[in-house]
Amino acid sequence: MARIGVFICHCGENISATVDCEKVAKVASEFPGVAVSVDYKYMCSDPGQNLVKEAIIEHKLTGVVVSACSPRMHEPTFRNACAEAGLNPFLCEMANIREHCSWVHEKGDATTQKAIDIVRTLVEKVKRNEALAPIYVPISKTAVVIGGGVAGIQAALDIADAGHKVVMVEREPSIGGHMSQLSETFPTLDCSQCILTPRMVDVARHPNITLYTYAEIESVDGSIGNFNVKIRLKSKSLDEKVCTGCGACIQKCPVKKIPSEFEQGLGMRTAIYVPFPQAVPNKPVIDRKNCTYYIKGKCKVCEIVCPTKAIRFDQEDSFVEVQAGALLLATGFDVLKTSAFPEYGYGKYKDVIDGLQFERLASASGPTKGEIRRPSDGQIPKKIVFIACAGSRDPAKGREYCSKICCMYTAKHAMLYKHKVHEGTPYIFYMDIRATGKMYEEFVRRAIEEDEVKYIRGRVSQVYEKNGKLIVRGVDTLLMGQPVEIEADMVVLATAGIANQGSEELAQKLHVSYDKHKFFSEAHPKLKPVETNTAGIFLAGACQSTKDIPETVAAASGAAAKVVGLFSNDMLKRDPLIAIVKKSPPPVYSSCTGCFMCIQVCPYQAIDKEEIKDRNGNIIKTISHINPGLCQGCGTCVAFCKSKSIDILGYNHDQVYAEVSALLNE
Amino acid sequence: MNNIQQKTKELLESGACTLIIGYEKGTGGKARPVFVRKAEHAAKLIFDESCDQNIAGYLYRQEIKNESKKAIVANNHTLKSIVELASENQIHEGDFMVLAFTAEGEIIELKSFEEIEKHVATLYHGLNDEDKATMQKIEAMTMEERWGFWENEFSKCIKCYACRASCPMCYCPTCTVEINQPQWIPVPSHTLGNLEWHVMRAMHLAGRCITCGQCAKSCPLDLPIHLLTYKVALDSEQYFDSVAGTSVCANNVLATFKTEDHENFIR
Repeated sequence: MARIGVFICHCGENISATVDCEKVAKVASEFPGVAVSVDYKYMCSDPGQNLVKEAIIEHKLTGVVVSACSPRMHEPTFRNACAEAGLNPFLCEMANIREHCSWVHEKGDATTQKAIDIVRTLVEKVKRNEALAPIYVPISKTAVVIGGGVAGIQAALDIADAGHKVVMVEREPSIGGHMSQLSETFPTLDCSQCILTPRMVDVARHPNITLYTYAEIESVDGSIGNFNVKIRLKSKSLDEKVCTGCGACIQKCPVKKIPSEFEQGLGMRTAIYVPFPQAVPNKPVIDRKNCTYYIKGKCKVCEIVCPTKAIRFDQEDSFVEVQAGALLLATGFDVLKTSAFPEYGYGKYKDVIDGLQFERLASASGPTKGEIRRPSDGQIPKKIVFIACAGSRDPAKGREYCSKICCMYTAKHAMLYKHKVHEGTPYIFYMDIRATGKMYEEFVRRAIEEDEVKYIRGRVSQVYEKNGKLIVRGVDTLLMGQPVEIEADMVVLATAGIANQGSEELAQKLHVSYDKHKFFSEAHPKLKPVETNTAGIFLAGACQSTKDIPETVAAASGAAAKVVGLFSNDMLKRDPLIAIVKKSPPPVYSSCTGCFMCIQVCPYQAIDKEEIKDRNGNIIKTISHINPGLCQGCGTCVAFCKSKSIDILGYNHDQVYAEVSALLNE
Repeated sequence: MNNIQQKTKELLESGACTLIIGYEKGTGGKARPVFVRKAEHAAKLIFDESCDQNIAGYLYRQEIKNESKKAIVANNHTLKSIVELASENQIHEGDFMVLAFTAEGEIIELKSFEEIEKHVATLYHGLNDEDKATMQKIEAMTMEERWGFWENEFSKCIKCYACRASCPMCYCPTCTVEINQPQWIPVPSHTLGNLEWHVMRAMHLAGRCITCGQCAKSCPLDLPIHLLTYKVALDSEQYFDSVAGTSVCANNVLATFKTEDHENFIR
């Protein structure tokens, strides 16, 4: 006979404000098979858990129903409590009368009745629960870090320093990401490359890190502890082992007028190129879209001048497969281009640039060697207008979010300009100044007070060209909305930070959720900021939302700590709520017909074929077999199996049917 | 006619085959399936317009599964079912011979699944005029009328499961209706329970029904139950470009996702 204990939680007032918990406990005590039914103010508290534990021992309970919050919240808590009292944890179920009932209904008899109905279904289910044992699977202690910007670099170094293997995959020919493009960094104005490039070299040299640049994720199978990651190594048209990085090919390449991605189109590069002189690895790749040989079939100048004969025109993309225990996404962000702004000239005015382009102008390694010169004619601008929130906080542009980094970098830009062009005047149009980091507010004050940056609170309605000047028409809302018109030599738009190109595809490949702006979603905005909803896949940096460098590095170290924590175990303990193919005695063996549609439908490639043989080794029947290490218990195969030969442990047909019947035949 | 008797006689005499599954003359102008094991009985075999029964289901029957030298006289429906059964791993290449007919009535031996697929590709896949007309009639009905139509039909069903027994795609040794823990489909025959059975049958045949209509032909009450599985088959084709019984290596329509799949039915 079943002896079920029912424990009704008030959740402070979260439940008891709309549900009559005492009544629920009283009615539940009369359900067939219920041995004890009590209510308590905070069931998850220590005394509350003791109530459960004592009842298990006193009443020799065969099952427990805790009717409280969502199982996502406290199922592990109560299952552990049951285990401590000697009851198999899988004989404990949560009846969610908070999210599913008290929070969504008004106070009243109907709400209480619904709570009673929910409890009844779980009592009927738990009567049919079976004791289950957790599954242990070995962990491949290699992490794949996707993206080689500052987030990826930090995370890779942290994981590698902890003694685990790391495979870093970077799409571009060099690691470094956006940080390597920046001139100086706020709030200290130290040189970005000076602090980043040593870490890039550390990555390349670290014995635990394998670096694949010019590479992309082709596919990902498996799950936490045992991902199988297939990486496409795009052809660099070069034998990296032979190349010494001397650069002779780059000097001689006849195609020299390709807008450089690294210079944000303000500088040019050749068809065979390294993105920037401090690149890691410092070996060139051939850009096949622009190379004369690939377009016209002849040239091969680089092959002729190469002293080590490293050029390989016929090289094809190759693939490597990595067994990884965890994946870390650090794919970064991008900025909206100036062409997205019709009111600021659709990108047709050469002297209207975005923030990243200004970084290159201000950078000592940039196209102007760090002198601020306008892109159109190379003159030093006497007035620059910076427009903050270009595209951010703008529902009309579809981006209601704050890009978070622009207030600070715009202040920095104005300051850098003033430091380099003393007689120049920087104006900043802003909505609010958000300077909430350590030393950030002081930095902005310094820009206003010491460097005399002119902050105008208001929006810019239009930028147009007239007599070689850019006319900026805006409004000063602190002067009662008085119109402002400035004749500027250059305009810098602090364009919105957006999700990186290809992030949606990658999220789909990895089964990671993402928001409407295509930034990857964290598992919990407060308590799980570096985890995704897919176990074993972690997030770092601006691929989640735009972040500044300190925040990115902190997130990367946080994600790395999660990976290292996972790798500190040799075996991964998993809930045994997985699918099984039902077996029966001979001569039937199993009702499975071997149509193998479950194999087609399984999203985790967890199903294969099993041959049932007689003692002479002759095959009697071939049926499906589910790999317990791979199955995630999603139940798609269960729904698909026509002969109902597959069941999910803990959610078998009998249990779910009993739950539904309990609701229908009260 | 003679060439089938001639051919099968030769096969049985030479020992290339020990069993021919085909058709003989039945009563009331109908043909019926026959198992021929002796050369002198080959004269019984016929193949004409009346041989419209789908007999692919015999191929996986336990009783004859292990007969190594068997041949089946396949009409068009049977051929399509063979392809579909092969795609579901229920029958295997080389386990049986297939005797089919060209459009001119010439007997041919299809030696591989590939040859069967090629032959099937030349056949007509659509519905006959009578079914088309009934289908249009039903689709023109309002939801209430349609419910009324099927309620009336299902109220007559006696749950004899002749539809299941005759369908070559119903090969599960334990059918859902026979599972009683839990009891998914009620045992007695009543309108709602009958509806549950027929809806389940239609869904289990989604992307698998080759539209032979054997279920309706077998129904002792002449219920138009084949239209349910036909409708699902037509939808599979219209929305997902999937026609059952045309490819041995095709995955089931409900088990696969293609980026170009229509989603206009999700509202």
